[in-house]
Amino acid sequence: MAAVAARRWLRFRCKVCLTLTGQRAGPCGQAPNCRFYSGSATVPKVERANVTGIEEVVIPRKKTWDKVAVLQALASTVNRDTTAAPYAFQDDPYLIPTSSLESRSFLLAKKSGENAAKYIINSHPKYFQKDIAEPHIPCLMPEYFEPQIEDISEAALRERIKLKKVKASVDMFDQLLQAGTTVSLETSNSLLDLLCYYGDKEPSTDNHFQQSEKSEELEEAAEENNEKPKKANHQFGNLWRPENNAERIFALMPEKNSHSYCTMIRGMVKHRALVQALNLYTELLNNKLHADVYTFNALIEATALSAHEKPEDKWNNILELLKQMAAQKVKPNLQTFNTILKCLRRFHAFGKVPALQTFREMKAIGIEPSLATYHYLIQLFYHHENHSKGSSLIIYDIMNELTGRKFSPRDPDDDMFFQSAMRVCSFLRDLELAYQVHGLLNTGDNWKFIGPDHRRNFYYSKFFSLLCLMEQIDVTLKWYKDLIPSVFFPRSQTLIDLLQALDVANRLEVIPQIWKDSKEYGHTFRSDLKEEILMLMARDQHPPELQVAFANCAADIKSTYESQDGRQAAPEWPANSLNSIAVLFLRAGRTQEAWKMLGLFKKHNKIPGNKLLNEFMDSAKASSSPAQAIEIVKLAGTFSLPICEDLARRVMADFAISQEQKEALGNLTSLTTDSDSDSDTSEGK
Amino acid sequence: MFPRVSAILPLRPLSRFPLCSGGSEAAIVLLGAPHGTVRTKNNVQRNFGTNSVNYSKKDEQSAPTHGISKETESQESVKENTKKDLLDIIKGMKIELSTVNVQTTKPSSRRQRKSVEATIGSLQKTLEDAPKKRTKSVSPELEAAASAVADFLRFDKQTTKSELLRQLQQHEEVSKTQKDGERTKISVSNIISDMKVAKSATGRVSTRPVHQIQFDEGTDSLMGQKTDDLKKSLRKNMLKGKRLNIFYLKTVTEEAPKTETAPSLWDVEFAKQLAMVNEQPLQNGFAEMIQWTKEGKLWEFPIDNEAGFDDDGSEFHEHVFLDKHLKDFPKQGPIRHFMELVTCGLSKNPYLSVKQKIEHIEWFRNYFNEKQDILKESGIRLN
Repeated sequence: MAAVAARRWLRFRCKVCLTLTGQRAGPCGQAPNCRFYSGSATVPKVERANVTGIEEVVIPRKKTWDKVAVLQALASTVNRDTTAAPYAFQDDPYLIPTSSLESRSFLLAKKSGENAAKYIINSHPKYFQKDIAEPHIPCLMPEYFEPQIEDISEAALRERIKLKKVKASVDMFDQLLQAGTTVSLETSNSLLDLLCYYGDKEPSTDNHFQQSEKSEELEEAAEENNEKPKKANHQFGNLWRPENNAERIFALMPEKNSHSYCTMIRGMVKHRALVQALNLYTELLNNKLHADVYTFNALIEATALSAHEKPEDKWNNILELLKQMAAQKVKPNLQTFNTILKCLRRFHAFGKVPALQTFREMKAIGIEPSLATYHYLIQLFYHHENHSKGSSLIIYDIMNELTGRKFSPRDPDDDMFFQSAMRVCSFLRDLELAYQVHGLLNTGDNWKFIGPDHRRNFYYSKFFSLLCLMEQIDVTLKWYKDLIPSVFFPRSQTLIDLLQALDVANRLEVIPQIWKDSKEYGHTFRSDLKEEILMLMARDQHPPELQVAFANCAADIKSTYESQDGRQAAPEWPANSLNSIAVLFLRAGRTQEAWKMLGLFKKHNKIPGNKLLNEFMDSAKASSSPAQAIEIVKLAGTFSLPICEDLARRVMADFAISQEQKEALGNLTSLTTDSDSDSDTSEGK
Repeated sequence: MFPRVSAILPLRPLSRFPLCSGGSEAAIVLLGAPHGTVRTKNNVQRNFGTNSVNYSKKDEQSAPTHGISKETESQESVKENTKKDLLDIIKGMKIELSTVNVQTTKPSSRRQRKSVEATIGSLQKTLEDAPKKRTKSVSPELEAAASAVADFLRFDKQTTKSELLRQLQQHEEVSKTQKDGERTKISVSNIISDMKVAKSATGRVSTRPVHQIQFDEGTDSLMGQKTDDLKKSLRKNMLKGKRLNIFYLKTVTEEAPKTETAPSLWDVEFAKQLAMVNEQPLQNGFAEMIQWTKEGKLWEFPIDNEAGFDDDGSEFHEHVFLDKHLKDFPKQGPIRHFMELVTCGLSKNPYLSVKQKIEHIEWFRNYFNEKQDILKESGIRLN
């Protein structure tokens, strides 16, 4: 069989050779631009190729490679290491973050270090003149942000505009005007651009992290959607002031073209001077000029944001604007439709029909929707999560559209899609859909659209919680190993979800491992998580080995409570945890420690549960020590528990006790029967 | 608990699917499954997998070696009987599985037929194996299996389950009295055909016969169908329906005369925003090197032999093939010979640019032109 296979393989290889040599022979005849470095090997076969008569050979085009092609190929061979923190966090082992908070501060620290260095270099360029690198590396050298042209001229103005010096540019413009020189239309327009874009304020230093933080706050505000004035303050820190430099210069300009008007309108909308923007548009029309598509986009936004109007009226105004666009032969672009959809989100229920119509219009005229488009649709159709009954199914449609596609960034909101899609999956409790969304995320380079850190965490938390809820436990645990910690750090709620899944699947033996992980991910002091873990471990009886493991885990948790005592002034020992830890110690046969736990009840003024006392009684019986049994009854007596009497009865029945002890018991029970009435109410368990 | 169950169920057939090499086998796996515990079901699958593989292997081997092909032939004839039995069973099931029908009625391609035979053979084996187990098996196990099957069917749980159980009881009795393989086979076929009847009685199958195939593919759950339908109806809504009808494809697609203007600040800032959208932390060291290369901090990684070689964009062939510059020189003779040596040397010289190389050749042309009289004296002809 092997021989046959070998022969076959040989024949196959011969064929390959033939076709290869055929290809090589082709270009030789036609174009002489071919190297013959392997000529000797091919020559005899070329003859044979001619004999057999290989069909027409297509000469492949020369491929132009990107200069980083090799690096890209190499990079594509490296997969994510599921056992390690992401590459960006790899550093001194002590510094590698283990929780989402730490990872955030890690990135911030790294970035701020870079920024500080850059700031120092740029503000003191004279100390950084030595060119160390050979060959010269321009990006390591200080950048010059100070204008070099000193005299008053249009060139100097242009330089200041290029360096984005808002105030200096305005001053220069004024000086030029005073000197009687007229500034050209082009330069004045770019000055207007600068003023309108930054709202007549100096631009903040180019700091990506600051920006992302800002947008994060925005995001939260948008999600809550209840504090609109506050949100406005956040987003548009510098509102359009009437009579600002932009308006002044605009008024001073001797001639204005449509660009001047357009940039003014866009600036006004950007800085929320909506009414002025709409008025200026009328002025533009009166001057028989035409607006460009970006201006229309801004106007649509202005129309939708304008206050004190019904959604219907706003929608009609938007339609009116669109008709004007069509009349002026302005081609709408992706942003036009995205802006409409973005604005329609504010109309809630009313927006659904117009949104679908807009979407269809977009498709009909051949504008490919971007991820942001779908994000807006999802937000519009799944605005209120509490409508579980009449929830829309548009997400299925969207996913059918998108599955298998690869995206490139086309809208600033493109990175919101995956988060909102996963939110809907989790809300619809549809695991199949969630897998579909996740599959889309892992198609090509789509994973880059997951957005900044907090959005990735949101996405994966939702996804994992859904897995915990719906998926088989083995698969869930596989995902757990795969995603954590190399993709995200779980929140305590995520871990609680996992614990509940383990409980449902009856796989409690994994719990000690989960506790170890959660300690690592910074949830050591999360009492809700700890209580959940303890409750699950203590609830049922387990085989002895497991009980030992649980007891170790319980001891570990106990130590966190104690160390917390040292850290904080107010010790917080929930009664449930005390109960559970004591039970776990008892079951693992660590009686000594269990008795110590009983002491803690007294210390923290908590009441042991009936079940716990019964278990103590069992253990006393197992070790047949009546002294311990009486101790338990005594303890119950001091807490004035109603169970005291039952316990005493059990002691009488099960243990061989002396007369003395009997008397003592009698005293105790009589004591408790007196106080029975009031202890009834205090006992919650 | 319910959503958990429903989430698992559709997955099962999917996971089974890759094991079988064709739709027909999948169908038989499923139909073989109802009588037996869940474990035997797994056995059935495994048999299918290995058997079909074996057969395909043998099929390939049969081409070069005649002995094996004969062997397979004889095996074929042995299988003939069992095959017929099973064909009867399949016909009895009245399943309108188009693939099965095509393969059984007109065995045009040998390979297909063989694969069917393979599955039939293995099914036969398992059918014969199963009753042996079952005679030992106790009723709770059977009941569990039956209910599992009923769960799996989901058309009419209760009737299916009771139907199955009744059949199983009957079958058990029969197999107790009579441990003959022939008899059990008949009862099995009874089970299968009866099961089919129970299923079609629900009416769902009769209305949509095409969906019997879906039974194999695991989209059989009621809920799934419901959402599927809903999805379909919605799909119409999303893509087909009224639109704004403001813009028209023609006006939008026609090219407007583009005025070349420098990008304004707005454009630049928008581009920056877009670039930030898919900015993610680096995934590995190579990605970091890519970034450094783009920033200019790192020497470019060589991608071909011309790394770091910038000669006004001229291609390597312009450097190497310099013969075309020798047109003005004599076609033969010592000058030609000399110039060929020169071009050969030049083509191997990596330090000169194309322009310099041409200049070099040019210099020789001028030189020989100047020395024409001397050349004439010695009888060498230039041009």
